[in-house]
Amino acid sequence: MQKVFNNKMAIFLFVFPGILLFSLTFLVPIVLSAYYSFRDTLSPGTPSAFIGFANYTELLFHDSRFWLALRNAVLLGLGFILIQHPIAIFFAIMLDRLGGKAEKWFRTIFFIPCVISVVVISKMWLSLLDPTFGAFNKMLDSLGLGMLKHAWLGDSSTALISMLFILIWAGFGWGLLFYYAGLKGIPDDLYEAASLDGASGFRLHWRITVPLLSPVITVQITLAMITALKQMETVFLTTNGGPGDSTQFLAVYLYNKAFSASQYGYANAISILFIIVCLLATYLSNKLTRSDATEF
Amino acid sequence: MTKSTKTILWVFFLIVALVQLFPLIWLIDFSFLSSNEFYSSSVLKWPSDPQWQNYINAWVDGKFLRYFINSAFVTSVTILLTVILSLTLGYAFTRMQWKLRPIFFTIILLGIMIPIHATLLPNFAIFKALGLTNSYLGLILPYTAVSVPLGTFILTGFMRSIPKAMEESAVVDGANIYRIVFQIIAPLTAPALVTVIVTTFLNCWNEFIMASTFLSKDALKTLPFSVMNFAGQYSSDYGSQFAVMVLTSIPAIVIYAIFNEQITKGVTAGAVKG
Repeated sequence: MQKVFNNKMAIFLFVFPGILLFSLTFLVPIVLSAYYSFRDTLSPGTPSAFIGFANYTELLFHDSRFWLALRNAVLLGLGFILIQHPIAIFFAIMLDRLGGKAEKWFRTIFFIPCVISVVVISKMWLSLLDPTFGAFNKMLDSLGLGMLKHAWLGDSSTALISMLFILIWAGFGWGLLFYYAGLKGIPDDLYEAASLDGASGFRLHWRITVPLLSPVITVQITLAMITALKQMETVFLTTNGGPGDSTQFLAVYLYNKAFSASQYGYANAISILFIIVCLLATYLSNKLTRSDATEF
Repeated sequence: MTKSTKTILWVFFLIVALVQLFPLIWLIDFSFLSSNEFYSSSVLKWPSDPQWQNYINAWVDGKFLRYFINSAFVTSVTILLTVILSLTLGYAFTRMQWKLRPIFFTIILLGIMIPIHATLLPNFAIFKALGLTNSYLGLILPYTAVSVPLGTFILTGFMRSIPKAMEESAVVDGANIYRIVFQIIAPLTAPALVTVIVTTFLNCWNEFIMASTFLSKDALKTLPFSVMNFAGQYSSDYGSQFAVMVLTSIPAIVIYAIFNEQITKGVTAGAVKG
């Protein structure tokens, strides 16, 4: 057995292709990105001069957009954690109780938005929230709430919350599915024991389901923060960071800096900081959530 | 649970499902309207004269078939490569014994945390220099590289739960390492492999930002571009725009409908064991 598991040739054949591909399209690019981040490059392939940390000092100390993009990611992440996840947990519990064929059907339906292309989701919501023909404003009108009508994505005071709403709609199914999967892993006899002890309904779930789901919740919170940080496509295709940077995110910002503003070197500095922020966020949320997760 | 609570729950779910699907219902409804009907005050509108022309515009000017074939090709090759690479990497990380194992495992896992958008700019420069922009490979390589870390992560989690006795008896029977991985381990990890296939499919099939950065040649573009095509010429023809959005969504929904059970089972298995 040891001989089989020590087979050097097999190890090489198993590992080399994957590592090579990953290095070429992930690690080498990041090194190249770091190289460009120290130069004043306007676009890839053009001559440029070494400028040291100038891009970084500009970003960290003089670029309010960078900090706005970070703040928006934090707000979005909190929105996911405080709104999307409790709803997903609630629906997972209810689905689990419903049982039978209906359980399967509703689970299927709730996941449908998750399989739809981000381009379609973006264009669809752009239309739904359109101030003139969008269904959302028409609905407010027909409910007699016409005074609430709004250019939802076009107004800097409502753009970010509209974005959160769109992303919750689009990602709800994934959250539901993960919590549902976590629920299925909780043995039934725990519930039976608890109801014998007199716990029921809300208390039963608060005392048993939520603590037992905590490993899933931990992972999901980390994922929510990462998802918020990585936000790009939906934003890019709907508001492109606007109006007035109200929906600015790091990925959108670096893309526009590189390809619209022709500040390729600067954009690469954003890229590098972006990576650092993501790694830090993963590390921190792992640390924070792990420590107070209940052990069973 | 009593029968009446069950009914209430059922009705509640039905309402939520309708609310959740409303954007899509609205999309389908309005894809049959002519553009001037868009501005009427009703939220949903029965099409008095269904505009099938919208769908013809979508099919022809959205270049639906061309882009569909490109998407299908790029996605299938990516899935195939991802499955093979994640399976072999996963096996090497869980069972094989070698010195650099922890380092390489950490490196691969970094791929889950590092946003693809951060590799977008340098990859654009590299691909341009190598002539990989405007080629299928220019999409397949980064798509696979992005999918392999998660795939490996899911599979290592799953493989740890497989008892070693399987492999031991295979070795006694004279099987070599390659037979063990591809004929014994691969079928045993099937539920996790389904998860890998599905997540890879969803990520690649609908991916837009890399495709739009690396591709400018029309003949190579993928399905999301069908929708983008309507930005110029058809910018005020909302009916046709909506039709192309409906068309673009259909393949993924059909595939989802077919594999729905496996998706849930796969995610369930992956989430519990991973």
